[in-house]
Amino acid sequence: MKIQIPIGPQHPALKEPISLRMTVDGEVIQNADLRLGYNHRGLERLAEEKTWVQNIYLMERICGICSHSHATCYVQGVEMLMDLIPPKRGLYIRTLVSELERVHSHLLWLGIAGHEAGFDSFFMYTWRDREIVMDLLEIISGNRVHYSINSIGGVRRDIDESQKKKILDSLDTLRERSLFYLKIGASEPTFVARLAGVGYLSKESAVALCAVGPTARASSITRDVRKDDPYAVYDEVPFDVGTADTCDVLGRTVVRVKELLESYKIIEFLMKNLPSGNITVKAPRKAKPNEVISRYEAPRGENIHYIISNGTDKPERLKVRAPTLGNYAATIEMLKSGFIADIPLIFAAIDPCICCAERSVELVDARSGDAKTVRMSELRNKANERFKKDPPKRNGIWPF
Amino acid sequence: MNDAEIIESLKSALAEKAGDITNPSTRRIFLKIDSHSLIPVITILRDKFDMTYLATISGVDKGDFFEIVYHFADTRTCLNVRTAVPRADPRIESITNVIPGAILYERELQDMFGIIVDHIPDARPLLLPDGWPPANHPLRKDWKFERPVETIPGGKS
Repeated sequence: MKIQIPIGPQHPALKEPISLRMTVDGEVIQNADLRLGYNHRGLERLAEEKTWVQNIYLMERICGICSHSHATCYVQGVEMLMDLIPPKRGLYIRTLVSELERVHSHLLWLGIAGHEAGFDSFFMYTWRDREIVMDLLEIISGNRVHYSINSIGGVRRDIDESQKKKILDSLDTLRERSLFYLKIGASEPTFVARLAGVGYLSKESAVALCAVGPTARASSITRDVRKDDPYAVYDEVPFDVGTADTCDVLGRTVVRVKELLESYKIIEFLMKNLPSGNITVKAPRKAKPNEVISRYEAPRGENIHYIISNGTDKPERLKVRAPTLGNYAATIEMLKSGFIADIPLIFAAIDPCICCAERSVELVDARSGDAKTVRMSELRNKANERFKKDPPKRNGIWPF
Repeated sequence: MNDAEIIESLKSALAEKAGDITNPSTRRIFLKIDSHSLIPVITILRDKFDMTYLATISGVDKGDFFEIVYHFADTRTCLNVRTAVPRADPRIESITNVIPGAILYERELQDMFGIIVDHIPDARPLLLPDGWPPANHPLRKDWKFERPVETIPGGKS
């Protein structure tokens, strides 16, 4: 008996609402089907009607969590079009903000992973620490979400000695606490057992389906734009690409924890080696006809912008590919032969936008045709219930 | 392997299938090909050059024709395969047999430009809503948005 479960598409807080229709046989997912476009805002078309400067703010609003990623990806593309070389200090501050953004995004994700796995104290702790990063972003840029630090040719705000000290001090706290939670996570067998083996994506499938970011890196693919195609100042900064070979949600967690620790290292390096000088150069109003590809490693994976200019002050074409779209095909593969109870966890694990998992689900019983709408929270309770009754038998070990 | 070496080996591997190859900046290579040789070229890229990661597919409206750019990337370079299809008969072969991860990008291309992707495993609209009028492709330059007249079902007018 096959039953179809539609997940999505609507939730008022979503930025990328998607609809997934699961075909299940009992508890096991046989197939998943995807439908996008419920929040398609026509940004690529809109960008053709706005000037180069206006588009910075438009690009920033593509995403709420990695807003700096899209803005930076766009700005560095436009700088290439205009033959501008931003000053070193500007690039350092830009990179600083992008690493702080990665820290806040990964801390947010870790909390969500804890929450979906039924480990709510983990969620509360990581989100408390995320506030430290949010405060840092606020003292640097003046904003907590859309930092608007970028301008074409550099950044808009400089940082002074007292801010530098504050960042370095906060970094010590963050590093200490992250290591402490890592210890807790690693020594909590139920948490590890809940994540191990869930949402399996083999290396071959990850390659074939063009997965990006931590999803690909958890399947032991070392794909990181910061290393492969260094932009800004990443060719001067020492860091390692964190990977895992377990190919499951546990691996994705480990990769993100490793990246957190690498980000702290990068931020410390940037703060200790911050060059003096200007933070921005003046940009022309128009760009001569050309085309450029700009790549950027966002917290969820690779961002790619393809920008064509036609000699005016507006782009001819601006193609944006966000990392989540690159990971959808892989998500379907992960969901196959998983359990209904694992849907929230697998979903959360690609970091699609967490809101996607926090929506109402309609369970349609194929035998009677009755539709029953349940909230995602009920589904989560059901999942936790099931794991209490039937403790997982997989022997998960923390491979960090 | 640097860009110049990649361009040389591309020229020898693709022979007459390779059109213009440009290298505007470091780690950016643009390769122009004919739309009929798309599948052989992508197969050679995957098998001989290990270009398995397709970052995305971009469509560009150039007036008389549509340009389709396949962005490949790996640790060595970012290779962009550029091809063109005429506006009068926009058809392109699906590359999902070679690169399975291309499916969502090809569906997006169908929605946004009305380019027909032959032999695509799943041709349903991806982004456009269910009631979207046919032959309306939002990223074509001649497309204008007209807000449909709202009628209240069962209402007076």
